[in-house]
Amino acid sequence: MEFSTVQQGLIQAPLDRKIFVSGPAGAGKTTAGVGRLQWLLANRVPAQSILVLTPQRTLAFPYDTARHMPQLRPGGTVNLATIGALARRMADLFWPLAAEEAGFTHPDTRPIFLTLETAQYFMARIVGPLVEEQGYFESIAIDRNRLYSQIIDNLNKAAVVGFAITDIAPRLKSAWVGEKAQLRIYDEAQDCAIRFRHYCLEHNLLDFSLQLEIFVKHLWTEPLCRNYLLEQYPNLIVDNLEEDTPVAHEILQDWLPHTTSALLIYDEGGGHRSFLGADPVSAATLASLCDERLHFSASFVVTEPINALAKALEKAISPQKATEGQGREKAAVTQGSSLRSALHYDLHRFHPEMLDWAADTIAELVHHKGVPPAEIAVLSPFLSDALRFAMSNRLEQRDIAVRSQRPSRALREEPAAQALLTLAALAHPEWGSCPSRHDVATTLTCVIEALDLVRAQLLTDILYRTKGSCPRLEPFAGLKTEVQQRITYLLGGRYEALRLWLEHYNEAPSTELDHCLSRLFGEILSQPGYRFHQDYHAARVAANLIESVQKFRWIAGALPGEKPPAQEYVELVRDGVMAAQYIRDWEADQADAVLLAPAFTFLMSNRPVEVQFWLNVGSAGWWERLYQPLTHPHVLSRHWQAGRLWLDSDEVAARQETLDRLTQGLLRRCRHALYLGLSELGEDGYEQQGALLMAIQRVLRENHGT
Amino acid sequence: MIRNNTTQLAPNFQFSQSSLQDYVECKRRFQLRYIERVAWPAVQAQPILEHEARLANGQAFHRLVQQQLLGIPETRLTPVDDDLRRWWQAYLETRPADIEGRRYIEIALAATIADQRLVAQYDLVVITPQSAQIFDWKTSTHPEKPETTRRLFERMQTRVYRYLLVRAGADLNDGQSIAPEQVTMTYWFAETPEEPVHFAYNADQFAADERVLTSLITEIQMQELNSPWELTTQERTCAFCPYRSLCERGVEAGETQAGDEVEIELSTPGILDLDLDQIAEIPF
Ligand code: SF4
Repeated sequence: MEFSTVQQGLIQAPLDRKIFVSGPAGAGKTTAGVGRLQWLLANRVPAQSILVLTPQRTLAFPYDTARHMPQLRPGGTVNLATIGALARRMADLFWPLAAEEAGFTHPDTRPIFLTLETAQYFMARIVGPLVEEQGYFESIAIDRNRLYSQIIDNLNKAAVVGFAITDIAPRLKSAWVGEKAQLRIYDEAQDCAIRFRHYCLEHNLLDFSLQLEIFVKHLWTEPLCRNYLLEQYPNLIVDNLEEDTPVAHEILQDWLPHTTSALLIYDEGGGHRSFLGADPVSAATLASLCDERLHFSASFVVTEPINALAKALEKAISPQKATEGQGREKAAVTQGSSLRSALHYDLHRFHPEMLDWAADTIAELVHHKGVPPAEIAVLSPFLSDALRFAMSNRLEQRDIAVRSQRPSRALREEPAAQALLTLAALAHPEWGSCPSRHDVATTLTCVIEALDLVRAQLLTDILYRTKGSCPRLEPFAGLKTEVQQRITYLLGGRYEALRLWLEHYNEAPSTELDHCLSRLFGEILSQPGYRFHQDYHAARVAANLIESVQKFRWIAGALPGEKPPAQEYVELVRDGVMAAQYIRDWEADQADAVLLAPAFTFLMSNRPVEVQFWLNVGSAGWWERLYQPLTHPHVLSRHWQAGRLWLDSDEVAARQETLDRLTQGLLRRCRHALYLGLSELGEDGYEQQGALLMAIQRVLRENHGT
Repeated sequence: MIRNNTTQLAPNFQFSQSSLQDYVECKRRFQLRYIERVAWPAVQAQPILEHEARLANGQAFHRLVQQQLLGIPETRLTPVDDDLRRWWQAYLETRPADIEGRRYIEIALAATIADQRLVAQYDLVVITPQSAQIFDWKTSTHPEKPETTRRLFERMQTRVYRYLLVRAGADLNDGQSIAPEQVTMTYWFAETPEEPVHFAYNADQFAADERVLTSLITEIQMQELNSPWELTTQERTCAFCPYRSLCERGVEAGETQAGDEVEIELSTPGILDLDLDQIAEIPF
């Protein structure tokens, strides 16, 4: 690979140098970071002494590829981690040294690490009764799971920003200017957070916030653990420093003086994860601990028209910011005449028309202009199921491969998972949970090869019984001959084998739901004659579901509730608590295909493309924050001044900042062209007039005719 | 020369003893697991609960040893499960790794062979001026000797671990290369702590291992991309393979017994490696 002179300078710097490099996205910083890693390895720095830290896994992919290159010399292996992963691993290994001091009731027993899902589950156990019996949160209309996740978010914020969990409500209340009733909500959120923490300490449960706190407060100061890390990793490479949290930066501040070499990479204009506690300000302070500071300014990605477009859009979104950088701006404006060559759009009345236009345009680019599908990203603020389906369908009809990335997807939305859980209910009549006829018919269609919905409904109508609250499938032989013939004996045989399996299973059921599902999958559903036999996607969904059930059993099973864990799990999936996010899905998706993703997810994969499509440009989602009545990312950040009120003007400024950062971040990762999907009516059928649309209109007006 | 329609491994793919063992046992299994990355959640072995407990206890034992080697006082290491307590007691009584030398706990080594990375994750390597000793903790029950020794010797683990320590171990030895004759590998069985199995190493074995590994990895890269690879002729293997329904090689998982031929792979994660959580990434 060819490197620029500044990149070469960084890569080949002396092996004991600590370097802080900053610059905008696309300036070649990560490429140089990977080059530096290879240089260290080539110059006999032991691979096992190098730790690459990134704020999230997707950002480590270039390093992951580099550390497996065949050109590398023989030796140890480079480790990759996030601060969260480091905290968890250290808490796991050095638990006996921290448990008592951290206040756990049973320091001699092993800790139980919670996933986000299982943390929500335990939160539900604690908060549910308070909501139902004591009227907690009664003045706000919000989905239960979002309630739980915001309380968890508050705990996480306390851990990553570094304040006591008892400070959650005082901080939120001191910034509040609206209705007094909200103050009570904050107190209740505070109470729930404290109760949850006590529960965790009593039962050795470690959610993300507690893992981090144990690491920061008890292990990083414990000589055995601290020396282990300092000696093991004298060479650090930290990428996307600006997307990490103040507590991560403090650890690094303490670590850097002990390192032999360090490379800190800072993306200007980043901080996209600020709603998760990312703090570009505290990140920037680490520069003073380095021997050398470099600035990469030239972009390797962005062409002049895209650059001009980015400048014009910045001016339209944040005029004051654009004025501050007027010197630079002037040059950009004179080149602004070219921005129209990079910007393409077409206005439609209805949303589906806009999607048709986007799909046609992509087809034209791929089939006639030679743009590789992997070089096209279709982005929107959110990626609903409907949008994903509509767009994927259109692209597939035009013979274009498509892959979608979303951070999470509830299992209940996957037909294969629904089918498995419906069959689990039929296998466990003692649960007293009777799936609907519709669910049973859909399940039969989903699992029996060649069975259509009409015949599945016929089977269900006649053979599915719910006696009392006991579901049961009757034998195929009980059907009249003409109905049997209509169904066909082949399909009837498959139905019957499935029915018999469920019946036999029920005579000696597995004690565990995941075992039941594994057997059902292996012994029936993936055998010839059933749809999972050929369907790798369904098998992967089944694998995710089974893994999720197993983890749930290990964790929740250790502290039994009122119902058996299996039944509880099924109900949690039904309620959408179990989302089951698996990186495996992301990895499996690396094909040469058009990417369909939420804008934020695309940013966090940090991979530029030739062409971007922004859909739903008029949507308010580009600019509005999620409704979060129990928390507040800005007020709970380290830079919020205690006692200051959060005013409308702060809200507007924050939104403006977010939109500016997001659009600049996207354009920095776009090489040649931006296509805007504009429709007067949005996905929901309403008129759209979001801030991004208005900013784009200003850009177009100001550059009209140029 | 690799043909165009032959296998393309993912850029971050690396061979390991377990993937090579898979290939040796069944080419199709390798293809499904590592090339096509097919998740197939069927039961691997029965009785399921016992199988699961064995894996969990095995991992817990590895962690205990790791904690002890890292210097956590033994008085603070308190296994709760019966099996685990028994193994731990056996470990403390025999102290198999109680030798002077530089210790590398849960270390990974890698080298390129036939243009691909091959990696090994060691439980413990102890380097002294004269020797380089590999220790591997086994919590499975094992059949009587000499069957054990022969089987272990033939496993890819024995080949890969010793080979890679010679090829890639210099970084553990102040940059000095390690000669094959310095290497020994010890399998220590928690169930039979007095009967560890030791394998020495020499230059001829090293050369033979290099030949075998090169030819295996080359052969894998030469496999046809778009057609199913050869299914094992040892159909008994399929009873313990989760892909049995996909291959139409049976319905129910096989029953494991003490001393069974089929060895269950126990993978212990590295210190940090690839354990990058996403826990705080979900927007609320
Ligand atoms: S079931 Fe048998 S043939 Fe198929 S992958 Fe497994 S071991 Fe190979």
